[in-house]
Amino acid sequence: MDSFKYLGFASRKLMKAWTEREPRRPPVWTPLKKPLAEARIALISSAAIARKDQPPFDQDGERRNPWWGDPSHRVLPRGTTERDVRLYHLHIQTSHGEQDLDCVLPLRRLEEAQQAGLVGSVAPSHYSFMGYLLDAEPFLTKTVPQMVARMKSEEVDAAVLVPV
Amino acid sequence: MIEAEGISTICLSVIPVLTAATGAPRVAALEYPFSRPLGMVGDVAGQAAVLRATLEALAAAGAYGAVIDLPFQWPEPRGKAMGVLPEPPIAALCRKKPWLYLKLLSGKIPAPEEA
Repeated sequence: MDSFKYLGFASRKLMKAWTEREPRRPPVWTPLKKPLAEARIALISSAAIARKDQPPFDQDGERRNPWWGDPSHRVLPRGTTERDVRLYHLHIQTSHGEQDLDCVLPLRRLEEAQQAGLVGSVAPSHYSFMGYLLDAEPFLTKTVPQMVARMKSEEVDAAVLVPV
Repeated sequence: MIEAEGISTICLSVIPVLTAATGAPRVAALEYPFSRPLGMVGDVAGQAAVLRATLEALAAAGAYGAVIDLPFQWPEPRGKAMGVLPEPPIAALCRKKPWLYLKLLSGKIPAPEEA
């Protein structure tokens, strides 16, 4: 498994440096409380997906200050498809997710997994944020707690995180 | 943070070494290109297989720090798979001011007036 196979030279150096720089953190572990076939699942994508009826992620802010990234998130209701959204991430090829949302947020595949009995239920809400956040503090202190509160209110057992 | 609040998590990652280093409790590791971690546009069966394997890894992971390699290979050669990524603002800035790349490497984010 080559973690950096699909990176160019500069990005590979960067990701390796960041990997080595990560501080050791205390382990955090929540066992899956029920069998997968009974568990409620939510999806979280870092592809900066916003519905067309929601405000876009702030790309101009990042263009003005390339060290900054929009730390907000969007709630994507169950049933959202590529017809309903746009992707606002300046670091990825957004056309894939805009043609087929399941490339980045597998909502239809999760529905099928539920219909096949692999998971118990699909959460009413799913989430997206923009993954380029050099300063993650606002995201960690404001955005994540909002997502967690909603997941708890919707009795989510497990979240599948999908960075892009 | 999500895990600390009592919700189990698994991270489907195409850069699993970095994801694991950040302290992700469970990582489903995948050697796929960026921008489409579930698979190619329209590949329903391939996307379903990746999600199924990720969910099974969620259930199977027994302890903090579990990294489960998923057995999938991208169907295109590396160059084609990588495609043409856009040049993000930070890359354009570092191309014009190469010394700023060192700040990026070090993780020291300059104040806007320095940038």
